[in-house]
Amino acid sequence: MKGLGYLEETILLLVLSMQDEVYGFSVAEAYKKHMNKTISLSAVHAVLSRLEGKGLIESEMGGATAERGGRRKRFFQATAKGKQVIHEIKTSRQKLWNLIPDLS
Amino acid sequence: MKQYAQHPPKWADRFLEWFCDEYLLEEIQGDLHEAFYHHLKTRGPTYAKRQYIYDVTRFFKPYAFEKYSRAKQFLPMFNNYFKIAIRNIWHRKVFTTLNLAGLSVGISAILLIFFYLRNEYTYDQDTPDHQQVYRLMNEYRVQMYTCMSFVDYYGTAPEDQLQLINHLKGYDGVVQACHFVPSESDIGGRDQFYVKVDGREFIADNVLYTNTGTAFNDIFPQEYLLGSVENAFDQFQSVVLTKSLAEAWFGKSWKEQPLLGKTLEVRGELYSLSAVVDDVPPNRHYDFDWIVYQKAIPSWAAYTYFKLEPQQSIDRLMTQLNNDVDKVYPGRSEDVLQKGIHHVALADIHFTPDTLYELKPVANTIYLKTFGIVGLIILLIILTNYTNLSIAMYADRQKELGVRKVMGAQSADISFQLLAEAILLALLCFPVCLLLLSIILPAFFETMGLDLDRSVLWEPSSLGILLGFLLLTGFLSGVYPALVYGRKSMLSLFGGKLSKVFGNRIFNLRNMLIASQFILVIGLMSVTVYIYQQLDFVKNKNLGFTKEGVLFFDIDGAEKYQQLRTALASIPEIKGVGANGIPGSDMYNQSTYKMKDTDVTLSDGTDQYVDYNLLKALNIACEACEELEKGKEEVFVINRTAAEKLAKIKGVQPEDLIGEVLVSEPEWENEEFGYGVPHVIDGIVDDYKFFSLKYSNQSLLISVAKEPGWAYQALVSANTEDWPQTISKIQHAYLEVEKERPFQFQFLEDRLDQLYIAEKRSGTLIGGLSFLAMLLALMGLAGMVSYLAYSRQKEIGIRKVLGASISSILFGFNKEFIQLLLLSTLVAGPLAILFASQWLSSFAFRIEPQIWVILGAGLFSAMLVILLVSLQSYRAASQQPVDVLKTD
Repeated sequence: MKGLGYLEETILLLVLSMQDEVYGFSVAEAYKKHMNKTISLSAVHAVLSRLEGKGLIESEMGGATAERGGRRKRFFQATAKGKQVIHEIKTSRQKLWNLIPDLS
Repeated sequence: MKQYAQHPPKWADRFLEWFCDEYLLEEIQGDLHEAFYHHLKTRGPTYAKRQYIYDVTRFFKPYAFEKYSRAKQFLPMFNNYFKIAIRNIWHRKVFTTLNLAGLSVGISAILLIFFYLRNEYTYDQDTPDHQQVYRLMNEYRVQMYTCMSFVDYYGTAPEDQLQLINHLKGYDGVVQACHFVPSESDIGGRDQFYVKVDGREFIADNVLYTNTGTAFNDIFPQEYLLGSVENAFDQFQSVVLTKSLAEAWFGKSWKEQPLLGKTLEVRGELYSLSAVVDDVPPNRHYDFDWIVYQKAIPSWAAYTYFKLEPQQSIDRLMTQLNNDVDKVYPGRSEDVLQKGIHHVALADIHFTPDTLYELKPVANTIYLKTFGIVGLIILLIILTNYTNLSIAMYADRQKELGVRKVMGAQSADISFQLLAEAILLALLCFPVCLLLLSIILPAFFETMGLDLDRSVLWEPSSLGILLGFLLLTGFLSGVYPALVYGRKSMLSLFGGKLSKVFGNRIFNLRNMLIASQFILVIGLMSVTVYIYQQLDFVKNKNLGFTKEGVLFFDIDGAEKYQQLRTALASIPEIKGVGANGIPGSDMYNQSTYKMKDTDVTLSDGTDQYVDYNLLKALNIACEACEELEKGKEEVFVINRTAAEKLAKIKGVQPEDLIGEVLVSEPEWENEEFGYGVPHVIDGIVDDYKFFSLKYSNQSLLISVAKEPGWAYQALVSANTEDWPQTISKIQHAYLEVEKERPFQFQFLEDRLDQLYIAEKRSGTLIGGLSFLAMLLALMGLAGMVSYLAYSRQKEIGIRKVLGASISSILFGFNKEFIQLLLLSTLVAGPLAILFASQWLSSFAFRIEPQIWVILGAGLFSAMLVILLVSLQSYRAASQQPVDVLKTD
């Protein structure tokens, strides 16, 4: 399996961290809140669809909504594989962290 | 807040809906709208709108319209077209080869013409702000001088050479002014030099002299490869080399050597190398191999340029200059022969004919237009060929197309399929064209006298244009068959009426196309013949002197000439040695003259000062010159043209002028003679062609000297089988008396040939192109006939059953084409004669375009057509009727 890019990893973590209503706009907002920088909607969409292509998240269309002129949202949630991959990343990173005696 | 401000911009929404995949649109648009309303609340409408538009544009990328999009369904279908196209192209190898060859050759020829025209039409256009740069020209007597003289001509002090420049710079609105003289110009001496560097000696020519170095660089910026603009013209006695000269002298690694500041010795003077610049591109009106920046320009005049500020009126400035002319040239406004100073814009220099001492031959716009038209003609032939050939080829694909329609293909699908094939085929020509062009380009540039090499082919712009031409050709030639077959009904594709594609009238599209090709071919062929007849006429015309076995070279002064003459006298094969007045000259400044006792002054005189030995060496008869043998020092003769003009004015016979007094330059007031210089006419010589045959006979006023007082050119005639041997003897003798200038000679015949170089080039080009047009047209005809024969198989079968012979069937095929050919000859004739007369009008001595040339071209074409048509249709005509009739 191909590795994950920095942005892909971040977005995947955000998807995992968010409880409900995980869709393009809300991910972008969460990104802004947690990372302290803005991201364009198109970038979020592109990364989400890449992650879906890799089988790390899955999606389904929600119901009609009032505030978007009746347009439905596509909700995302992480798959088992996605969770496993993010664990693997964390473990391998942790090993590296353990090798560093003292950072400061 | 206005209501409408609270919605996302409509056009951005529509744009999104247009490009975005339907499958993705809902969620994307939803998110975008949500973001918009979010921003509207937090940041206000302006920001929200701007951000919305920005976000939409950010979505405009493959992700949004490719990932799941219709392209997925669209591409395989698209691919399918090309797959079938490739199979068809491969399947019909003969057709493909014919078409490929025709297209490649034709497009390559068009590209050659394009390269040529591009070079001509971009002259000086890459000089920055060329619209603001002008050159001064001086009108004197009846001639337009492209250079401006110095105040005292050759005797001008170095500081005074700058008078005009300084005066120009004094005007408001003049940014910069400069002048220069290239040695390879009519006022530059066309010398060669020995240049000593590091104890080695090189021969160089084509130097550009200037004493306004920085200004020269301001107006004509050069690209500095070594050294810099700031330091190149710091002090006089500096030399700037071009890259190729630096490479020739110091090898490929000149850049690594410490060249700056190196000392060069030229004719005893020391110079310092201050910079190396890139070579001068061929599309500039000036040229140089190296620049010498020194205090004085070694000439009597210089080419003078200035640059105006933008928006300044050139006319106002020129009026001012002409009013102030006495400030630069004292007393000039009194001189009636001075007709004023004119200007020419930099980019127009290459297109300004009939000037004196122009640096490079100017473009003949008639030729340029002709080449352009011939290029269009070839394009037309290619297009019609392809159209004809494809219609022919699709004839036996009708069933395939029919089946496709039965399977549900729409008209558009069929059209698209056929168009895709045409474009694909055209694109296949791309590598073939590149190969052809890279082979033929060097020879072409050589023939056309262009200083370009094949690297221009690989420039992105050239490749783009080649590709563009191919695509255009593919599209234009494919569009007719595509539309015709696309529209045809399913049933008619299965039905047998093949020839109905064109209709049956004699003036149908197919016949018009064929006839127009015939017209072009016959016309071009006739024009080519006329051009070569004229060139042949020029070559064989009796010029009034012996041109064979004569060579000539420059000589510096009468003293060296006499020494050389003595030295050459001992070589047995040398028949004559003479000086000055060598025929085959370009036009130079003309003078005025009149008979002393008449009032009419003529202004077309050409003064000459020749050595009697020159006339003898060239076998120019001169009865009056025999006086020189008897001890007279100098005689004055005029040629018959001048004699007839003068005699007519005087109302006497030309012979009666002998012994009368002619005054040359009668308007020149001098102390010695009052007005002008009087000469007693000692005799009349027959006209000999001193100038090109493009000009009518000019009046020559010839002073013949027994021992010339000054000499600038020497001529040697010899009767020898072994020219290399003789030349080395002459060179040896020359180098004995001349240490400063290298030996550089030319044959008189070559010089005379060069007078017609532009005409020769146009002849070669038009000849080559008409051959090409012929070839392409025949190829097209071959395809056409094979289609006709195929489509009329059954008819032929029935005819044979009813008793027709092979020859009568062949006759039937030929009849229609011969009729068309006859008609075409009738149309082509007047066109060709009209065009040829136009071309010939630049010659004073010329042939008359004969009708029989056109008839001959028609007959020749007819023979080729009959041969081709018979060969192509013979198979159909000789088949057994039963073979073709049994299938239905």
